[in-house]
Amino acid sequence: MKRYITALALVVVAALVFLPILWTFATSLKPLPEVNAYPPRWTSPNMSLHPYVDMFFYLPFTTYTINSLLVAFCATVLTLLIGSLAGFAFARFEFPGKRFFLLIFLLSQMLPGASVIVPLFQLMSTVGLYNTLLGLILIHTAILLPFVIWLLYGFFSGIPREVEDAALIDGCSRVAALRRVLLPLALPGLGGTALFAFLGSWNEFFFALILTESDTTRTIPVGIGLFVGEFTDVWNQMSAAAILFSIPPLVLFLMMRQTFVKGLVAGAVK
Amino acid sequence: MKRSTPYFLLFPALLFTIVVLVYPLLQNLHNSLRRVSLIRGMGDWSGLLNYERVFQDSLFWLAFQNTVLYASVGTMLALGVGLAFALLLNMKIGRITNIMGFLYTVPWVISPVVAGFAWKWLLNDNFGIINHWLISLSIVTEGITWLGDPTTALLCVIVARVWQFYPFAMVMFLAGLQAIPEEQYEAAAVDGASTARKFIHITLPNLRSVAIVLLLLGVIWSFNDFNMVFVMTRGGPIHASMVLPVLVREFSFVQFDLGKGSALSMLIFGTLIVLSVIYLRVVSKRGPA
Repeated sequence: MKRYITALALVVVAALVFLPILWTFATSLKPLPEVNAYPPRWTSPNMSLHPYVDMFFYLPFTTYTINSLLVAFCATVLTLLIGSLAGFAFARFEFPGKRFFLLIFLLSQMLPGASVIVPLFQLMSTVGLYNTLLGLILIHTAILLPFVIWLLYGFFSGIPREVEDAALIDGCSRVAALRRVLLPLALPGLGGTALFAFLGSWNEFFFALILTESDTTRTIPVGIGLFVGEFTDVWNQMSAAAILFSIPPLVLFLMMRQTFVKGLVAGAVK
Repeated sequence: MKRSTPYFLLFPALLFTIVVLVYPLLQNLHNSLRRVSLIRGMGDWSGLLNYERVFQDSLFWLAFQNTVLYASVGTMLALGVGLAFALLLNMKIGRITNIMGFLYTVPWVISPVVAGFAWKWLLNDNFGIINHWLISLSIVTEGITWLGDPTTALLCVIVARVWQFYPFAMVMFLAGLQAIPEEQYEAAAVDGASTARKFIHITLPNLRSVAIVLLLLGVIWSFNDFNMVFVMTRGGPIHASMVLPVLVREFSFVQFDLGKGSALSMLIFGTLIVLSVIYLRVVSKRGPA
């Protein structure tokens, strides 16, 4: 009996939690006249996937999507390249200033976006990177770096140094040891970190909002966030955009639930 | 191995961090001490004038009050909800628990922008399902303009924030619950303790350190949160739900008053430093979770 009450409670709570998502999903399938009809209904016989197609033609979501993918992809690659060098340095070397540099990265992770945004805006305008995708890629790389370095530092430290030493004794050069032994071992860690970085850039809103000003450079979250006032009343297409935009994070979460939960706890430093 | 190798490896990362984070922070401090505007450019040194102007602005005090409410009430509610859900999940009644555990975490994974958008639509005065339910149940006769009314706007944003933040608390609390040694409960059962007494004397004290970490982190994150408020209300109506990070944008890019924007953002930075130092001290004493 108690078991069934608990199960019932679990399901009711799940329904409550999913209310905003389900409502958005229902809206994303309805034709516009029914979205703007009273009383609102959950379902309608006219539900279709049309809003999911229309948003790419009537709203600038084709450009937004390309921009988002491009920015997130480039920022991830760049962050991983630069971050793994730094993570490797922290994990394998003892050098003067190590603690100081670690502290810089730790602190820069806590830096509120609001406290750097005005000078960044001025800087980007001066060097001609304001309202460009390249500018956004570089900014995202910088804000993702501290967390990525932190994660990779952990992954590299977890690989015993003896593995590398054995490769060195067997006649590998230092670089070959890194490439042939350390990198393959760190690959799962690198993969997980890449997903975090991708999601971080994909979801990033504040900098993307303030450092872009035209439809050609906006990313999806900016398009959704600026919705009111720009594309008023097309709630069905906007809902479709919101749902589509949420799929990559959800899929990644499904794939990497364990790592994700661990990351939650590790990310607690932010 | 050369001694300079680690520095070469660190160089690109440092370059990015310095150009995008450290330099702007220093420049921001510099801006906050000068007369400066987007239109007229850099002016003379003005000492603490910009800070005085921030403090004299009633909008700042309103935003400050709202931010404190948003951070404190929002975080505590999220902790409450997170704990309740964690207890529910901890009853472990088979496979359904795992599935639900996954589903309950979804709001944390959803982008804040989408979360704000979904709540905004749910609360829409004419076509939102919440108002429709309230009218159907005859609780109200006319739809409430949730986000258009100065008395309810901030409250609604807090609810959306709780929705997004509770999974983090839930996951941490669940880990905390599962780390409590079973012997403690067994000993209490031998002594004839009721479920309520076990909860108060065993469960809660064991979760204390997790709760403190969560409280601090929640306050730090909410204090710094721009997205939810901006997407749902942009700080309106008539600034009723304005919070400090949104006000920085308002000062700098709407009123074009960079001096005031910089001064305000330095104040936010200072507050966050203090909170973060407290957090780091607590964490290093107790371990991360």
